[in-house]
Amino acid sequence: MAVVEKQKTNNPVGKSVPRNDVLEKVTGTAIYTDDIQFGPGLLHCRVVRSPYPHALIKKIDVSKALKLPGVKGVVTGDDFDEYIGLYLKDRHLFARGKVRFVGEPVAAVAATTEEIAEAAVELVEVEYEELEPVLDPEFGAQPGAPLIHPDLGSYERPNFIFPVAGTNISNHFKIRKGDTEAAWPQCAAIVEHTFRVPHVQHVPIEPHVAVAKMEENGQMTLWASTQSPFAQRALLAKTLHIPESDFRVIAPTIGGGFGCKAGVTMESIPCAVAMKFKGHPIKLRLTREEEFYTNFVRQGLVIHLKVGCDKDGNLLAFENRMYWDGGAYTEYGVNVTRAGGYSSTGPYDIPNVKTDSMCVYTNHPVGGAYRGFGMAELHTGVDQVMDMLAEKIGMDPVEFHKRNCVQGGDVLATGMVIHDVGIKECIDKVAQALDWGVKEPPSSPNKLRGKGIALAWKAPAMPPNAGSSALVKMNADGTVTVSVGGQEIGQGTFTAMAQIAAETLGVPYESVKVSGPIDTRYSPYEWQTVASRLTWSMGNAVRNAALDAKKKVLDMVAEAWNEDPKDLDIKDGYVISYKTEESISIKDIVVYGLPKPNDQGWIGGPVVGAGSFMPTYVTGLDAETGQGDRAVVHYTTGAEGVEIEVDKETGRITILRAACSFDVGKAINPALVKQQMEGGFVQGLSSALFEGMQLVGGVTRNPSFVDYRIATAADVPPEIDTFIVEHAQDDGPFGARGIGEHPLVPSIAAVAAALHDATGLRITNPPFSAEKVYLALLDAGLVE
Amino acid sequence: MHNPHPGLPEIDYIKPATLEEASRFLASHAGEARPFMGGTDCIVRIRDGVWKTKYLVDVKGLDGTDGIRFEAGKGLTIGAAVPMNKVAAHPDVQKHYPVLVEACHWVASYQLRSRATIVGNICNASPAGDTIGACMLLGGVLRVFGPDGMRDEPLNGFFKGPGKTNLKPGDIATALFLPLPPAGSVGRYIKLGRNRLGDLAIVGVTALGYPDASAASGFRFGIALASVAPVPLRASKAEEILAGKAIDEGVIAEAAQAAMDACTPIDDTRGSARYRKLMVRNLTRSALVDIWTKIRK
Amino acid sequence: MSFHRITLTINHTLYQVDIPGHLTLLQMLREKVGLTGTKNGCASGECGACTVLLNGDAVNSCMVLAAECDGADVVTIEGLAQDGEMDSLQKFIIEEGGVQCGFCTPGILMSARALLNRNPHPTEFEIREAISGNLCRCTGYNRIVAAISKAAQYEHPAA
Ligand SMILES: Cc1cc2nc3c(=O)[nH]c(=O)nc-3n(C[C@H](O)[C@H](O)[C@H](O)COP(=O)(O)OP(=O)(O)OC[C@H]3O[C@@H](n4cnc5c(N)ncnc54)[C@H](O)[C@@H]3O)c2cc1C
Ligand code: FES
Ligand code: FES
Repeated sequence: MAVVEKQKTNNPVGKSVPRNDVLEKVTGTAIYTDDIQFGPGLLHCRVVRSPYPHALIKKIDVSKALKLPGVKGVVTGDDFDEYIGLYLKDRHLFARGKVRFVGEPVAAVAATTEEIAEAAVELVEVEYEELEPVLDPEFGAQPGAPLIHPDLGSYERPNFIFPVAGTNISNHFKIRKGDTEAAWPQCAAIVEHTFRVPHVQHVPIEPHVAVAKMEENGQMTLWASTQSPFAQRALLAKTLHIPESDFRVIAPTIGGGFGCKAGVTMESIPCAVAMKFKGHPIKLRLTREEEFYTNFVRQGLVIHLKVGCDKDGNLLAFENRMYWDGGAYTEYGVNVTRAGGYSSTGPYDIPNVKTDSMCVYTNHPVGGAYRGFGMAELHTGVDQVMDMLAEKIGMDPVEFHKRNCVQGGDVLATGMVIHDVGIKECIDKVAQALDWGVKEPPSSPNKLRGKGIALAWKAPAMPPNAGSSALVKMNADGTVTVSVGGQEIGQGTFTAMAQIAAETLGVPYESVKVSGPIDTRYSPYEWQTVASRLTWSMGNAVRNAALDAKKKVLDMVAEAWNEDPKDLDIKDGYVISYKTEESISIKDIVVYGLPKPNDQGWIGGPVVGAGSFMPTYVTGLDAETGQGDRAVVHYTTGAEGVEIEVDKETGRITILRAACSFDVGKAINPALVKQQMEGGFVQGLSSALFEGMQLVGGVTRNPSFVDYRIATAADVPPEIDTFIVEHAQDDGPFGARGIGEHPLVPSIAAVAAALHDATGLRITNPPFSAEKVYLALLDAGLVE
Repeated sequence: MHNPHPGLPEIDYIKPATLEEASRFLASHAGEARPFMGGTDCIVRIRDGVWKTKYLVDVKGLDGTDGIRFEAGKGLTIGAAVPMNKVAAHPDVQKHYPVLVEACHWVASYQLRSRATIVGNICNASPAGDTIGACMLLGGVLRVFGPDGMRDEPLNGFFKGPGKTNLKPGDIATALFLPLPPAGSVGRYIKLGRNRLGDLAIVGVTALGYPDASAASGFRFGIALASVAPVPLRASKAEEILAGKAIDEGVIAEAAQAAMDACTPIDDTRGSARYRKLMVRNLTRSALVDIWTKIRK
Repeated sequence: MSFHRITLTINHTLYQVDIPGHLTLLQMLREKVGLTGTKNGCASGECGACTVLLNGDAVNSCMVLAAECDGADVVTIEGLAQDGEMDSLQKFIIEEGGVQCGFCTPGILMSARALLNRNPHPTEFEIREAISGNLCRCTGYNRIVAAISKAAQYEHPAA
């Protein structure tokens, strides 16, 4: 059990070195936001929330609440009139005049204890006048639907988001490639189907928590469980009229994010309150129930698909009309819609494409970023429809997928030429692992057994200029401290960054520390920890910073030794000369420098390397056709398959085994890559089998773990085979690209395909609950 | 809208020294005070704001509430305060009341069962209570200390509606008595949740078969159903069918159908009424087939 | 609101704490005693992040009132390592890669400790059952199950 012994791992890239953040996590000493002690000045905040999906606020009376002993004050929408929003600036910190979803913050109370704040919330009297709600995105997109944002046309927006003023459509993304109308008659088989994907919640085990404190001098500090400290600083500083340099965000260890802690969610509330009670830290933590119904959700999707192929199974035409249930406001929803739009074909090469991807305001919870950023929802439809088409044309799905999947050099629906991708290898590996083509008998006569496979692709979805930066600081004891602004959210990014720095610098992995917590005052800038972009983008920044530091070390030694830096290198923490075979430890010299050759003074000095990275080649896309040179930086592609059994007595699906394979370009740490595949697959599985927010009249009927089930240890297949494929990314550090989100993407479609293989039925709308499956079997006459 | 407190609101914890004291306090604070055992229902419901309780009266450790006593030839007395894990691990319970062990096993999670009690499950009177069916079929009797002293409350007839029982303010169940089941009994508890473990029952079926010369097949069966009616339900019609005929697949199917017809489930977040009814039929059949196979050996 | 003075042992140290009646053991550990390793993921008995050993057995500390704990013996994640030596479960969960964000980890380790204390040779499914009340959104569980299984073998090698 050689876990904590001192080891030395040189050239760690590609090796499964142990994580550098676990000791604290297994001993209970890792500090999460809620663990920070703030002393007796701390005030607790609780939130008055809308009970209605759509209503006018007629009156707010806080007088009773203010009288409760221990209550310090109440803030409402009257106190803040600015708009906030990551893309489209469409919401206020607290509802003003109108509420648009159940759970929307209307006011916040600050009090000496959480209990008193909560008691005061019940004393705030709000008078509402209910309005007709919009509860379906397709209905909401129609002319005549009640308008949720009459001011949509005047909202500030970036140039790649296209709201349709006078409607509920907050973004309409289009692709027009080739001519689908002309292609349909040439198709030997066509499948048309509509899929509905429910809202799901992220369910990090750590609920949101944030503490804000404003000093008397106006400086604001926010401690938050967040994936986006820099984006929060930018958005909140602007909205609250605080200079960015006076706004500090500290991001302690975070207990899972999955997208829901990206952007600004509830953090604005304690910040707003803190402005009224200077000198007091103001804490807000969401209850698990609030986590379910007030937070950003993975928005629901209605997707109409039509796809056709020739008699040999070659895809010819594809139409995709998506209505995203963006909810009451569009923090991320509009960009999910855009991502769903430019990736709308899935990883398939199709000559004629017509896509309309629309984000629609509804009176549902706000659509956010969720692991996969639209791709799981999209693939739930696209990969099922491909499975259906394969069946219709009489072709094995694996063969069909391989025939049609994208390959390096293909021109995608947006006009972008795709780089080398290993998706075919991924399909082969998954098929092989599942003994594809071998039909195993069920384990009992009461069971049906089947296999299914689905593909996935995803590009980092972000503004074209999302940047990363890093500092590499050399220490006198020969160790290295790496500073980054991207968050360790469990994915292992601090470990991967240490590996990249160590490999680049020529020091052992064990001598590199990554400094946390992220603190916008001290950490270098990072756009956000989202989009599976850190390994690639922040990795590039770290590599550049390490190269910079290395150059400084080598230049110094070269000067001291009178050599050409080109003949020098760093290996195992020593600068070596290939020419003279001399060597010297980097210890001390990286801080104190070296004496000049003539002993007249010193050279060098403390070595700090700086590096940054920003893609400069992503182009805009035409608003009418979606065409452009390069829509995205790259795609990670892969495949997943499952073998399942269906219990004819109850309808319950059991996953017998599963296989996942993704082309990650280069696995910086293969064990961590595999852990992402397993964890992501299981999260996807959970949404395939169990998850869905039960929204009735805008109210979430299952906002707790009792009512909203997620997979437990007893629900997952003991065998999840994972396979890494490596087709190098030309601009990735050591060829790497991201893997954080992708394993979740194909799970639903893979289970649906297996369900069809087992039962012959197409049960297309997740979750594939025991009830849904049983009733479908019953209605089809397969059980009595 | 479901909007629970972050923690418990400011309630008080009362630890009386005697049953009398506890009962007096409970009786004089009707509607405000509750007996408190494992607390796994109390804490959740008070936090939810569903119960406006002001005092939790800890009755653990009061006279008769501790320990498990098995008396050969008579039966088993489970102190009201004994958590489910302790009950399920007890050798006499495992030997003579395996169906109760099976039922306990299906409740929530291990760590919750370290606190949750069977008596709490019964007094909470949720139609979804997993252990109630077994206790009913085993002829369970609650020993209750009330303002008028001790009395027995047989479980059949005890449940009046969701959360409603024969207990009155001031009543404290001190123990559950289960008579010794006839030699050769076989029981089953089948629970269906949305995922494999930890859900509340969409449907729960308890069945118990035991030798009885007066029944046509020589065996009599009891069937209790969870989550399909306002109260834990005995499927008496199904029981009668099984008692009156020689058992075969057809009769089992007939009984399962009768169980299905007897229940009046609702649609809720866990499942629809339609599915629940069908599952009562299927799982009752399964349980009976299982028992029938084993009981004849 | 009345206060209760309780005396209890936490991680082998004797404490005397004054707490109001509505405080849960979880809140007391985190807010009064300053042991924040035990996590709050739901406050209603569902997620297992708050699991501690109470008188030797695993409980959800959010489902226990602190006032009930007079005289009790509590072990939290901070007390799992002894004399500077990590528990074998801690070592194996690291080795197997069963930790990502780490928020579920303290609770899982305490559930697993209780399991191995009562059942030194659990089957794989017994392990899954024992931690089925501990939700983890990151790992997909299998590595945690493997870690517990390896720790069991290490602590009690099959004869
Ligand atoms: C996360 C979670 C999951 C759950 N899952 C399940 C499940 O799967 N199956 C299931 O059946 N239940 C489940 N429950 C409900 C609960 O755990 C059980 O009902 C449990 O048996 C209650 O026992 P307790 O000792 O904790 O009761 P308590 O909460 O102490 O009491 C329950 C009720 O009985 C009353 N009461 C308690 N003791 C007495 C007494 N001596 N005399 C009179 N009245 C008394 C109380 O006032 C209260 O009304 C779950 C609960 C939670 C929190
Ligand atoms: S916090 Fe106690 S179980 Fe979730
Ligand atoms: S490691 Fe994140 S919840 Fe388990």
